[in-house]
Amino acid sequence: MFRIALRGILGRKARLVLTSLAVILGTAFLTGTTVFSATINRTFDNLFQDVFRNIDSYVRSSQVIEGDFGAEERQRIPVELADIVSKVPGVAEAVGDIQAYARVIGKDGKPLGADGNGPPTFGSVGQPFKGQLWTITKGAYPKGGDQVALDEATAEKAGYALGDTVKVVAQAGSRTFRLVGIASYGAVRSPGGATFALFDLPTAMDFLTRPGFVDDILVVGDGSRSDRDLSSDIAAAIPATYKTEVLTGAQITKETQDQIGSALSFFSLFLTIFSLIALGVGAFVIYNVFSISAAQRERENALLRAIGASRGQVTRALLTESVVVGVTGSALGAGGGIGLAVGLSAMLRALGMDIPSEGLAVPSSAIVNTLVAGTFVTVLSALLPARRAGRVPPLAAMRASAVESNGRFTRRTVIGSSIAVLGALVIAAVMAGAAGSLLGVGVLLVFAGVIVLGPVIAVPVSRAIGAPLSRLRGVTGRMASGNSVRNPKRASRTAAPVLIGVALVTAVSALASSISGQIDSVISKQFTGDFVVSSNAVGFGGLSPQLARDVRALPEVDHVTGIGFTAVRVLDKGQYLTTLDPAEARYVFDPGFVTGGYDDLTADTVAVSQKYADQKSLKMGDTVAATFADGTPRTLRITAVYAEDSLAGRFIISDKVVEGSTAQRFDFGVYISVHDGVSPDDARAALKKAVDSYGSGRLESKREYIDSRAGQVKQLLGLIYGLLFLSVIIATVGIVITLLLSVFERQRETGLLRAVGMTRSQVRSTVRWESVITSLLGAVSGIVLGTGLGWVIVAALRDQGLTSFHLPVGTALFILVMAFMVGVLAAVYPAWRATKVDVLAALNTN
Amino acid sequence: MTSTTGTVAAATVNATKTYGHGDSEVRALDDVSIEFRAGEFTAIMGPSGSGKSTLMHCIAGLDELTSGSAFIDGIDISTLKDKALTELRREKLGFIFQSFNLVPTLTADENIRLPLMLGNEKGDTEWIDRVIDTVHLRDRLTHRPSELSGGQQQRVAVARALANKPRIIFADEPTGNLDSTTGNEILTFMRRAVDDLGQTIVMVTHDPVAASRADRIVFIADGRLAGEMTSPTPDKVHDFMKTLGH
Repeated sequence: MFRIALRGILGRKARLVLTSLAVILGTAFLTGTTVFSATINRTFDNLFQDVFRNIDSYVRSSQVIEGDFGAEERQRIPVELADIVSKVPGVAEAVGDIQAYARVIGKDGKPLGADGNGPPTFGSVGQPFKGQLWTITKGAYPKGGDQVALDEATAEKAGYALGDTVKVVAQAGSRTFRLVGIASYGAVRSPGGATFALFDLPTAMDFLTRPGFVDDILVVGDGSRSDRDLSSDIAAAIPATYKTEVLTGAQITKETQDQIGSALSFFSLFLTIFSLIALGVGAFVIYNVFSISAAQRERENALLRAIGASRGQVTRALLTESVVVGVTGSALGAGGGIGLAVGLSAMLRALGMDIPSEGLAVPSSAIVNTLVAGTFVTVLSALLPARRAGRVPPLAAMRASAVESNGRFTRRTVIGSSIAVLGALVIAAVMAGAAGSLLGVGVLLVFAGVIVLGPVIAVPVSRAIGAPLSRLRGVTGRMASGNSVRNPKRASRTAAPVLIGVALVTAVSALASSISGQIDSVISKQFTGDFVVSSNAVGFGGLSPQLARDVRALPEVDHVTGIGFTAVRVLDKGQYLTTLDPAEARYVFDPGFVTGGYDDLTADTVAVSQKYADQKSLKMGDTVAATFADGTPRTLRITAVYAEDSLAGRFIISDKVVEGSTAQRFDFGVYISVHDGVSPDDARAALKKAVDSYGSGRLESKREYIDSRAGQVKQLLGLIYGLLFLSVIIATVGIVITLLLSVFERQRETGLLRAVGMTRSQVRSTVRWESVITSLLGAVSGIVLGTGLGWVIVAALRDQGLTSFHLPVGTALFILVMAFMVGVLAAVYPAWRATKVDVLAALNTN
Repeated sequence: MTSTTGTVAAATVNATKTYGHGDSEVRALDDVSIEFRAGEFTAIMGPSGSGKSTLMHCIAGLDELTSGSAFIDGIDISTLKDKALTELRREKLGFIFQSFNLVPTLTADENIRLPLMLGNEKGDTEWIDRVIDTVHLRDRLTHRPSELSGGQQQRVAVARALANKPRIIFADEPTGNLDSTTGNEILTFMRRAVDDLGQTIVMVTHDPVAASRADRIVFIADGRLAGEMTSPTPDKVHDFMKTLGH
């Protein structure tokens, strides 16, 4: 029987190729994303392996405020600690070091590097020091408040040469420097694509942090002590009042690598989810191909049964075939995936996310996982068709032609509806307050139910889609429409991958357009000014607070406040507090005060959102203990409560509270209103001049600001579309395969039609319209399902501030057009094959 | 309707068809020149492998001759490209095959009108009604092929072959898959198509009884014309077939 199975495989190479294609595509993404993640991981690992290579000890503050998502803000330490450390026996050299936000402005006035996404832009210390990796390749180390050095890659990209004037923006504002040195970082011209502006220590402290304070102290030993001993001696030498901790070089290296690793693991998880979706979609295609081929081989299997093969033998023969296809397909898929990883890296680089690459990292686990997952999915998909094949009655060998059974779907309707209703009930329970994690289960159940119901839905929906076609395209439309519902099971299995992809895209779009709509109404209501200067920087850097002060000096400007945030430990939890200037904010920012107001925000008070106050049982007049990033404990009294927390977050404080703090402090936005009677154009021109002198920061009118914020949601959407694109490709391939098998199955009919006068273009047209109907069947059902799903998600997120559901009409129309095109495209090859039918051979096959 | 009786509806001149090359060359048709007159029911007979089907396929534009010419209504079909040839089949020819004559997704009525629908024509409604009545299909028009018996399916095929008022109808073993009673019924309908409706039929068969319903029988053996017979009877046909080494 095994030999028969092998013969079966080799005897039908075309079918083998088609089935393998689905496996290849399904598994390629899995390998691709794993290899891609591993490559990025290794690259960063290597990078940070080098950063502290020559460092024996590392001194930093022990005071840290941990925020959400692993973000942390560590206190800075006084630079005089370097002197204390230098005196410890065994220390050769100890210097203060700073890694802070600084943005180099190019010759064209535009800042270098990207905000928010992409490699960071650093300001640091460039000084002769044994332990560091910076070496001056041209010129000299910067000395004094007007000198800067740049890394090689940045200098080259910006076209700066020694002696040029370079503008840099940092926390203290915007300053110009003379370029006196070009530096390389170890062996590379720029570490990890980041930009570096290097200053001497006093300038760095003054410009980047705060005079007298650094981020950490780097120590190089004289070699007489082990790193561990040296570090503990240093720790003992520093008075406890400084609140510091001392790490060895190896420890800080590992910590940095782990941090990067966990940041990247989120990214890897994201990719993995999409590759699993692709594999799931692929499984459908594989299942479909095996089902069709089992049906087409019914007579052959029946003959085997008639001459004495057992059910198990017939089933095992098909399963053997699936194992061969699974292993071959997965192996090819793994190969293709490596190619895909190369493409992904290139794509990210083209998008501006510069990933330093040192060749691909191909972990053997990526290959093994792909082989196992691919083979497992293939065999699993073949299980049902194989069992069905075994159950073929020997008498079927005598039947004229064998087609898949398409009896009544009563049982299917009952089972499918039950599953879908159960899923809907679970979702309803979640909305009524059950655990949110059940939402996924509910959604999966609904999907499963709809897929079981597929064949039941397929007939009426395909008929409805095909109806206008029969009228518009005459007999070819009529026949295409007939062919599409000829085999409801096959039609629904072919449309299912399209349905899954479209449903996901629609749901995500519905969510995104609801968020966009929300952003629009939130900003419209709460921002009462005319212009906004914003920065895309998230968590690291932003706009210098000096910018708001400069803008205030403009005669056109009526009111202005910088809106920033600062990390504070409140109620035993690291949180970001919104900072603003209460005297000015009242004119441009309205968080909807319930009690109290801006007048009540002073140097020792705080405003809290109604929701958080309710949650934590906080009342007006209560005091909360807060520890700021510089380690100072404060007590803040609640003097105001506000309703709208979507922009302001949980707490608002006056910027007077943090005045003089060593913590980094940036604004993420500057809200501006202009005097009555100043034309928008005049106001914009004046503001533009002020903002441009800082290089970074984007000036927008209220409308533009709303649109660009909403646009950011669309950017994320674009990424998700991109990742779902592979599923679309697999779905398309699924349609191609099914069409090819159907065309093959209907050779005789095509021969007859050609004989009685169907032209080749009519043959093509029939196949094409059938393909379009199938594709639209998936798209239409997917849009309906996805819209429902989107509504559920939006409703589930109403606690997060999403209040209204927006129908993604544009997306739905776009999907329909795309589905139409996918249908046309998928039919190209099968339609061409159909015209190649040899009329005589087709008619003579009896 | 029968004004064209006696003119040549289809013909071949030195028709030769070979497969393969050199030593392995097979001559399926060897220099066959023959005419089929309008209004006549002709049967082509011969042992299996004699080339009778090849002859029909080549005249009907389903297969190409290696050399020589085939004419339909005076048109040399070997000069036609695929599209023109397809249109010629659609407009001037009718076909009845042994089996798988019908498109399963279409109703009996749609199958009958198929050639007209393909050409985007309405056709002669009065004529089609008459054809439908001739083959007694009036009450089966909305049925699909799977809901029809074998004989009914062949009647639909006969009606389809007649629907476009073709110059000539080609039938390839039209009764081969039917029991003798049903087969006889089909032959009667074909006979009536010639006698009452003035049609022209060329039928390939190896059944002497079926062939004897024709006006004229052409015998083919080893790719050549091996004889002709007019006013045939089953016995005469049987005897002649024996002389062909069968």
